[in-house]
Amino acid sequence: MISFTPADIDAIRLSAKVAVAATLVSLPFGFAAAYVMSYYSFRGKVLLEVLLNLPLTLPPVLIGYLLLLSLGKKGWLGQYLDAAGIRIIFTWYAAMIASAVVGFPLLVRSIRIGMESIDERLIQASRTLGARWYDTLFTVILPLSFRGVIAGSSLMFGRSLGEFGATIIVAGNIPGVTQTMPLAIYEYASSPGGERMALALCLVAIVLSLAVLFLHEFLGSRLGRRD
Amino acid sequence: MKRFVTSLAMALCITLLAVSAPLAGELNLSVAASLRETMNELADAFAKKHPDVNILKNYGASGALAKQIESGAPTDLFLSANVEWMDYLKERRLVEPSSIGTFAYNTLVFAGTTTQKIAGLKDLVKLQRIAIGSPKSVPAGEYALEGFRKAGVEKELSGKLVMAKDVREAMKYAELGEVDGAFVYRTDALLLGRQTKILFTVPEGLHDRVTYPMALTITGAKKGEAQEFLRFLRSAEAKNVLAKYGFPTK
Repeated sequence: MISFTPADIDAIRLSAKVAVAATLVSLPFGFAAAYVMSYYSFRGKVLLEVLLNLPLTLPPVLIGYLLLLSLGKKGWLGQYLDAAGIRIIFTWYAAMIASAVVGFPLLVRSIRIGMESIDERLIQASRTLGARWYDTLFTVILPLSFRGVIAGSSLMFGRSLGEFGATIIVAGNIPGVTQTMPLAIYEYASSPGGERMALALCLVAIVLSLAVLFLHEFLGSRLGRRD
Repeated sequence: MKRFVTSLAMALCITLLAVSAPLAGELNLSVAASLRETMNELADAFAKKHPDVNILKNYGASGALAKQIESGAPTDLFLSANVEWMDYLKERRLVEPSSIGTFAYNTLVFAGTTTQKIAGLKDLVKLQRIAIGSPKSVPAGEYALEGFRKAGVEKELSGKLVMAKDVREAMKYAELGEVDGAFVYRTDALLLGRQTKILFTVPEGLHDRVTYPMALTITGAKKGEAQEFLRFLRSAEAKNVLAKYGFPTK
């Protein structure tokens, strides 16, 4: 029987916490971005589109490094935060921000697909019946794109569970504090005699990922049947 | 268009062949991260005398390198920052026992940008973040942890230790000021910028002496170039380079 050390249990718990927080924090922004991209046309939309999707193709390690440089004590943003007594680098907030940045495009994409599948006439009908843009948003668009929101959230949650490259740079690797599951696996994988523990944690990661993806499919199909 | 694609495919094939063709006189080194600059200079000096030898250097945490060698990574010469990982490979009959020798020594120091007065291990509890190499694979972290245990501060420091993947990453964190300080070797600290100061040297009695053993692997021992390189590492010329970077050899 595999037994985990307290630090490993902490790592699993921390990964879940980071993933939940990253998803929740990103949701309003992701929804807003998807709304803007779906219903407005403006100059530079293509540029914004590219920028939104950039984290998908950039190496996560690069994102981590840029975050470290900007949020670090001497960084352009970090120095103000530091003066205000806020520390981000090497705390679990850093892990959350890293996951949020890396997973954001996945969230926006799914919500957009949800929004773009809404029948345009429903929106027009609500507007002709006198609904303000925010009425339409909350009573028509939000409920009808709910499937996309859930799909995006679960994808982002899954991506955050596995975030490694950006996290290891900005969150450091503090057992019990910022050592997430992938970081613990990495540490075991590079230490002699660590195979058993690395594989045990891999198993947990696989089970969690499968669970998230099955939930994603299940919710998708159920919500799909309703409409 | 078709011709273009064909020539492109051919070019690709040629490149792939050129890359995968076994190069004559290849020498694979797996070297502790703290020896990076020193080994680069030594390898360059060796390459000047033996232009036909292609030297491939792999730097990293000694434990991680040992694990790579155990998993079958092509390595001719292994240079560890502690005796433990050399013994680990010796037990598994992966290095040639007769080739094992000591390359150099080092000292563990605590370096950082903190303005607080830190004079010894006991003062560390005042700090917020301290970087060490992950003790599971980085010797510098292992030596530091040994010191914490002997000084009785291990418990107080848990939750403050940022585990770096090798000693150089710990150094980088200290340099950026993201941690109050880092446990690195004296030779690493000498390479740091001016703002990062050596705050104290960890007393020798608190951990095993920092020793760099070197050895040829079983495959390396059969290679003439590898034997030649090992001889070069033992030469007076190599000792001069080590001295230049601050490594004691006695």
